[in-house]
Amino acid sequence: MTHLAGQPRGPEVVLDADYVVVGSGAGGANIAVTLARGGASVVIVEAGPWRDPHDYPSSAYGGMRDLFDEWGSTFTRGRAIWPIVQARVVGGTTVINSAICVRTPGDVFARWERERGIPIQPMADAVARHQDALEAELCVEVAPPGAVGRNNALPLQGASILGYESALCRRYVKACVGSGQCLSGCVAARKQSMNVNFVPEVLRRGGTVVSNAPVKRVLTEGTRATGVTGWFKHPESRKWGAKFTVRARRAVVVAASATHSPALLQRSGIRSPALGADFRAHPGTAVFGCYDDVVDLNTGATQGWASMAFRDDPGVKLESLAIPAELVAGRLSGGGAQWMERLRDYRHLALWVHATRAESTGTVTNGWGDRPVVRYTLDTADMARFRAGMVLIARTHFAAGAKAVLPGIHGLPYRLGPDELCRMENAPLDPRLYVGILSHLFGGCTMGTNPANSVCDPWGRVHGWSGLVVADASTIPSNLGVNPQHTIMALARIWGERLLDARSSGIA
Amino acid sequence: MIWLVRHAICALLPSSDHFPGPAELGIDAFLVQLRRESNGLFWFGVVAGGVVFAVSPLITVGLPVPSFFLSAAALDRHASRIASHRFYLVRQSMVLLKMVAGFCWGAHPRVREKLALAPYPPDPGTWRAS
Repeated sequence: MTHLAGQPRGPEVVLDADYVVVGSGAGGANIAVTLARGGASVVIVEAGPWRDPHDYPSSAYGGMRDLFDEWGSTFTRGRAIWPIVQARVVGGTTVINSAICVRTPGDVFARWERERGIPIQPMADAVARHQDALEAELCVEVAPPGAVGRNNALPLQGASILGYESALCRRYVKACVGSGQCLSGCVAARKQSMNVNFVPEVLRRGGTVVSNAPVKRVLTEGTRATGVTGWFKHPESRKWGAKFTVRARRAVVVAASATHSPALLQRSGIRSPALGADFRAHPGTAVFGCYDDVVDLNTGATQGWASMAFRDDPGVKLESLAIPAELVAGRLSGGGAQWMERLRDYRHLALWVHATRAESTGTVTNGWGDRPVVRYTLDTADMARFRAGMVLIARTHFAAGAKAVLPGIHGLPYRLGPDELCRMENAPLDPRLYVGILSHLFGGCTMGTNPANSVCDPWGRVHGWSGLVVADASTIPSNLGVNPQHTIMALARIWGERLLDARSSGIA
Repeated sequence: MIWLVRHAICALLPSSDHFPGPAELGIDAFLVQLRRESNGLFWFGVVAGGVVFAVSPLITVGLPVPSFFLSAAALDRHASRIASHRFYLVRQSMVLLKMVAGFCWGAHPRVREKLALAPYPPDPGTWRAS
């Protein structure tokens, strides 16, 4: 069991394994643990450091510094500049997400078959089988009553009054204590992020984890992937260290995220008309509600409530969200004394968000310094969904007893009362007027049967290459309309099994 | 350029009767730390915001002077108007500054006490070394 946490400048570090997995998030950790359980030797290569729960920061500043990808400085280039939420740490974005567990909806498989030629039945059955196992292994449960908090209880009440279905979220959190700290890592070690379970299991099974090791390129010989190479990078000083090379006897698995995987393949010379295309996301935003009573939104589970009642029409998922006080401050509009005055409402604010099932697509390219460049703009139809989601949240706030909502739409008043909702309903659809954020990223290396419009086949294997597999959200060819971690993990396990089957039958 | 960023942040989030602002909460040491620890792109965005804040009073309060020379009342009007300016890139340039102001403000024990939040323990900044 070996963990290499970077090496200063010096001789090249060379490792060999059956499989090298680039990335240790939901996709990378799951394919790695599947391969390790099957007896294969595995090396996980992760760009960021390995931080255990006692290493996690408490403040939002520390979270940005220690956990987020390049200080959260990835953003969309398009009509509006919206940040893209991703982590750069062992465990990937599972360290900083809210660990919400939602099964892959059946209509998703039907769409993949219709648009990508991926047969429904084997895929849907296998995903369901793995999701059963994952729910048991990762202790999926709703927040216990003592950890719910008012920020999660109020929307339940509001939704019930409005008559739409909602519930406390099932999450990969074992006995949540409601510290509201999911976004900077669960110091209480209750959240089952990949760095506390599957990555250590790979180590226990004889695998190797190489951290602080951003991969520069995939090594190839002819049309076969043979390994990866790069230079260690110190997580604090950001100084470059020794060169590393990991040779893969069986396959290279790229699971570096929907932004980094396409960028890595591009700079490795992989050519495909679909590479970097079809980038999608669930853009979202927040609407604050102001209540007479104290809410203390940071008390309770970070995201304990959700509703999928509007997944089909207008195409949004609603969720509660606790963000730290530092980020609440930054999110409230205004400047000067007026802004400071608005912060007095902090304890009376509830914060709920939506994730839009957007159909707009963008592109990912490899930019300067190996940074992914994401070009993405929501079209008018998606902006209409986006705005409709905000109106639904506002209605729920009012049903739950809010005296006002803070829409955060440029050009609208700072506060809107219950009689002013029409102003939100009729707000312009220019994305520059909204404070959006991209989470739940998909595409860039989409799977499908046709190499003209997909990078990988339905088993994650890159078309035209042997020994090269992609196993993360970048392969997902459509939006899910639900939180993607459960789907990503199940797909990665399916592909891991497939690799093991190929190994046992002698097929590369 | 820390002085420039400090000027903008202290104007954007001034102290009030209820809350201390970053000027009272160790903003100087905080910005030194941020400069040292953040990556180039993030710091560039912060400084760019500071520059935009300093040179833009003409488009907010109609005065052709850098923001350093504004009276306290005019500076507050400038801070309010630039954060919600009708030109997208102008108001967007304040987003990072506001976020940094929030980092400094919301993590400070004095503010957290007023918000009924427990003080943060220090961020360890550690990782598994082997």
